[in-house]
Amino acid sequence: MNKNTQFQMVDFFVKNGIKDFVGVPDSTLKHFISYLIKKNKIIISTREDEAIGIAAGISISGVSSLVFMQNAGFANSLSTITSLIDLYQIPILFLIGWRGYLKNDAPEHEKIGKIQPKLIKNLELSSRIINDKNWKGGCRWALKKISKNKSCALIIRREFVD
Amino acid sequence: MIRKDAIKVCANLIGNQPIISANGFISRDLFDVSDKDSNFYMIGSMGLASSIGLGIALKKPKKKIFVFDGDGNILMNLGSFVTIGSKLPKNLVHIIFDNESHESTGRQPTSSGKIDISKIAKVVGYSVYKTKSIKNLNHTIKKIQKKSGPILVLIKVSNSKKKSPRIDINPIKIKTRFMEIIN
Repeated sequence: MNKNTQFQMVDFFVKNGIKDFVGVPDSTLKHFISYLIKKNKIIISTREDEAIGIAAGISISGVSSLVFMQNAGFANSLSTITSLIDLYQIPILFLIGWRGYLKNDAPEHEKIGKIQPKLIKNLELSSRIINDKNWKGGCRWALKKISKNKSCALIIRREFVD
Repeated sequence: MIRKDAIKVCANLIGNQPIISANGFISRDLFDVSDKDSNFYMIGSMGLASSIGLGIALKKPKKKIFVFDGDGNILMNLGSFVTIGSKLPKNLVHIIFDNESHESTGRQPTSSGKIDISKIAKVVGYSVYKTKSIKNLNHTIKKIQKKSGPILVLIKVSNSKKKSPRIDINPIKIKTRFMEIIN
């Protein structure tokens, strides 16, 4: 996803009531994150499960937030999703960078990249893949889910290798 | 000092202010000695009590937010100290009931018997209080109510002889009644 779209997404979320952005940086989302740093609306946590804990506290306080991470961190988050987010029905909007989407991505992302769609499905977490063209519809869908107290995930494929 | 007695002293002095309590026997003890709508009992997601507490403290700066944590719990999420230290919420009181063991799983030792957790908290910017006796705990909890945070109270405790009952409130109910209190 290009820089401009990532900037527009931040503005869109902020305009539509997302007050805080909590997570662990990911290169797929680097423009989204750098813009948030500039706007001073970001909490960078040490781990992804910690980010979800902070966002859960924010949600319980009646404020909407977004949790960003790459899919390696999503794997770190499974227990928190099952035993906190699901168990207490705390709505969390996830934005996840999909490493290992490309076959020639770094080897550590290969397995998680491959099983990610199944993993999300097995968690019964509603998700949509967004790109430069469909991002606005995806973001609107996610905001609607959150307003109905449902967690959901927006996925961005990493379509470059560096 | 038995943990359950320490929890009772803290809960009584804290009154109706919000408490996020860690999973395992800490929540079970709190539920048994002083069940209130203002208690958010964690069932599962070990390690995250202080993270949830941080999220609430940042959004409710006028309320004092108490976290009841365990040594095993904070050791599982030590990064939370760093994130709290980077935000320095004035209204966060982090109480650690330190029995130097994972009591819920069979009293296996944690490393808090060898490493002073409170020193780590001090380095990241907490005001630190340590206590071993009920009398001193009483005094400490009264004193910190007027102080600015983040505050860490490390209480050395021994395990209880009797197990407190499981929490029989539905987790969604725990959340909704807590939300009605804080929002």
